[in-house]
Amino acid sequence: MKDRQQGEFRIESESDIVSARKIIRNAAVCLGFGLTDVTRIVTAASELTRNIYVHARSGVMRWRTVNNGPDVGLEVTFEDRGPGIPDLAKAMEVGFSTGSGLGMGLPGSKRLTDEMTISSEVGKGTTVVVRKWLKS
Amino acid sequence: MSAESISVIKLRGLLLVTVPADPDDTTVLALQEKVLEAMVQHESTGLVLDISTVQTLDSFFARTVVETVQMVSIMGGRTVLAGMRASVAVTVTQLGLSMGNALTALDVGRAIELLNAEASKELRV
Repeated sequence: MKDRQQGEFRIESESDIVSARKIIRNAAVCLGFGLTDVTRIVTAASELTRNIYVHARSGVMRWRTVNNGPDVGLEVTFEDRGPGIPDLAKAMEVGFSTGSGLGMGLPGSKRLTDEMTISSEVGKGTTVVVRKWLKS
Repeated sequence: MSAESISVIKLRGLLLVTVPADPDDTTVLALQEKVLEAMVQHESTGLVLDISTVQTLDSFFARTVVETVQMVSIMGGRTVLAGMRASVAVTVTQLGLSMGNALTALDVGRAIELLNAEASKELRV
């Protein structure tokens, strides 16, 4: 039985992106993910925390262990009260960016994880939830 | 992780730069600047970027590395990315990034051989 774990971390500065990567790496390793899956989850977390820092300046990352029957996974939520995304379909297109980025962050994070949901309201903020399931 | 911790070693006309394992964005940008300055300062034409300790190469980091390779190329130099971990290679590819036309090698030793081979090829032409 894996230890249940959860936590919360505020993203307020650029160096918090590094801390967020360390936290998620630790959580994924503790849950028993293999090296490649750990790298996938950490890379997605890096993209999504940078999105928070670049677009909203600050926000929160939350992580927890999730269960679906016998399956165990890691869920990470990225929440900000930033400007929001006017066109979610457009934001999921590779190469589309309103900032100076490559437009890889959102579509890339979706490919690196098993599930990703985004909810966003212009002027209110954005919440991205990703899940990765442990292959047993 | 600070910019001062980036090591640049001159090795028989080549520069060997060890990329820190988990740098913040500021350090990544400082690395780019330091590499370009060192290329000019040492009149070097070959650069080995040792990325063997890098655990996470996200789109910002990867883009800066690719940009650096292009900048070195414009300055008349060649870069070899050495020692990318298998887990990082898988992730970078799935993320949708290409490392451009950067030369790559399994480790630093092979990277140096590759640069030396390229240099002697150019001498023969």
